[in-house]
Amino acid sequence: MASPSRFSTFLHGYGRLTIFLLPIGVAINFVGGQIALLLKLPIYLDSIGTILVGALCGGIPGAIVGLLSNAINSITSPPTFAFAVLNIAFGLLAGFFGRRGFFRVWWKALLTAIPFAFIGGFFGALITIWVFGGLAVGGGAIIVGMLTALGMDVNTANFVAQIPMDVLDKVPTVLIVYAIIKGVPKRLMTKLPLGHVYLTPAGRTPATAKAV
Amino acid sequence: MADTALERAARRYGADATLGNPIRDMNPLILLGCVAALAAIAVAVPGWVVAVGMGAVFVVIGFLGGRGSGYLMTFLKLWAAVGLILFVLRALLTRSGEVLVPLGPIAVTTDGVQDGLRFAAAVMAVCAAATLFFALVPMRHLMLALERIGVSPRVSYVLLASFQSIADLGATARVVLDAQKARGIETEGSLLVRVRAFFPVLAPVFLTAMSATEERAIALDARAFNRRGARTSLVRLRSPRWWEWVVLAVLVLAALATAIGANLA
Repeated sequence: MASPSRFSTFLHGYGRLTIFLLPIGVAINFVGGQIALLLKLPIYLDSIGTILVGALCGGIPGAIVGLLSNAINSITSPPTFAFAVLNIAFGLLAGFFGRRGFFRVWWKALLTAIPFAFIGGFFGALITIWVFGGLAVGGGAIIVGMLTALGMDVNTANFVAQIPMDVLDKVPTVLIVYAIIKGVPKRLMTKLPLGHVYLTPAGRTPATAKAV
Repeated sequence: MADTALERAARRYGADATLGNPIRDMNPLILLGCVAALAAIAVAVPGWVVAVGMGAVFVVIGFLGGRGSGYLMTFLKLWAAVGLILFVLRALLTRSGEVLVPLGPIAVTTDGVQDGLRFAAAVMAVCAAATLFFALVPMRHLMLALERIGVSPRVSYVLLASFQSIADLGATARVVLDAQKARGIETEGSLLVRVRAFFPVLAPVFLTAMSATEERAIALDARAFNRRGARTSLVRLRSPRWWEWVVLAVLVLAALATAIGANLA
């Protein structure tokens, strides 16, 4: 999987700050979801921390945040754990896009919402079908139930219900990740594994600025 | 003998940690194995009777562990929020078997009720097992037991700090939400207005939390967080009693037997 050099970087050096960012990422996932509920928004917004840590520290730390968030959530709501793989994928993907500087520009950040929503919606629907036979829990289940009652096939209903919901969810998510990254102070940024991506002046591609 | 504060502390931390209940004092990992075996039995046996019955067994264990009333609430909430939906959707949407209640395009069928009850009960048994375990075992004890078998203390830190951060950040977010409301940011109204309110509330909270990690890293470094090697801890877990192993062995064997039996049948 990870090359030894990257793994040792993760454990030592910059990785020290990464360890302290993991709990913050988990907490951001939770608090984002709570505030979305408080503001009565019809979306989850519960993967901000995963994508943020992935974009700043790399795919593996992002994936750890995703896994931990779902594991902690499943203490009170165990079915959530079936969807942990999605949150892990978000983290890995955020690391991939972060490394390539997608979160430096707002419209590129906005573009990443498409693959995130695709993973969340498409694979979310697949997991619902595989693990729960197409009828899982939560707000989406009611919509799926309604669509099925209207004569739609259970599997199709899952995709039809979940993909648009995930687009609605991921657009504000990546925008807030972009906004937070904009606000991270430079002195903190220099200590983050992918900080160099965001500190290189515009015009130079991050890939040439520092070989990873 | 002068009973100084120091001596009291020494006695308290020198003794094995106890929660005052034999079930809760079991080794967390052995208890985990026992609960997992019970859940496996519930899932392996076909039909819904055993799965539903296992839910009752878990509640009884919860009461024996002294956490009964709180656990019963969690258990019932879980059934109401998850189990009921799983059951109702299946009962309504399965299209085979004898029709019990026709409801326009959908109908409640005998197969639907059977299937729904079986599936909901099996999922609920697994969920109830997980929630029971975390109702009985404090997270700190679980992490300590894991460290004993070789899990890195960093893992404990990340997990325990996550719980702390969720509580801290949640409280700060609410304060900032109220503060921004007082400054005139609209948090009610159309969907777009509410989505826009999300940014000024969360961005400062998250940024502060991230900046604080730097100080935290220095503070923990000063306390030898990055040191390798053995560590001492304030809490001393009791070493497992012989009967804990016996209970575990019996339950695991029972689970294996039911799984094999269900596959042969």
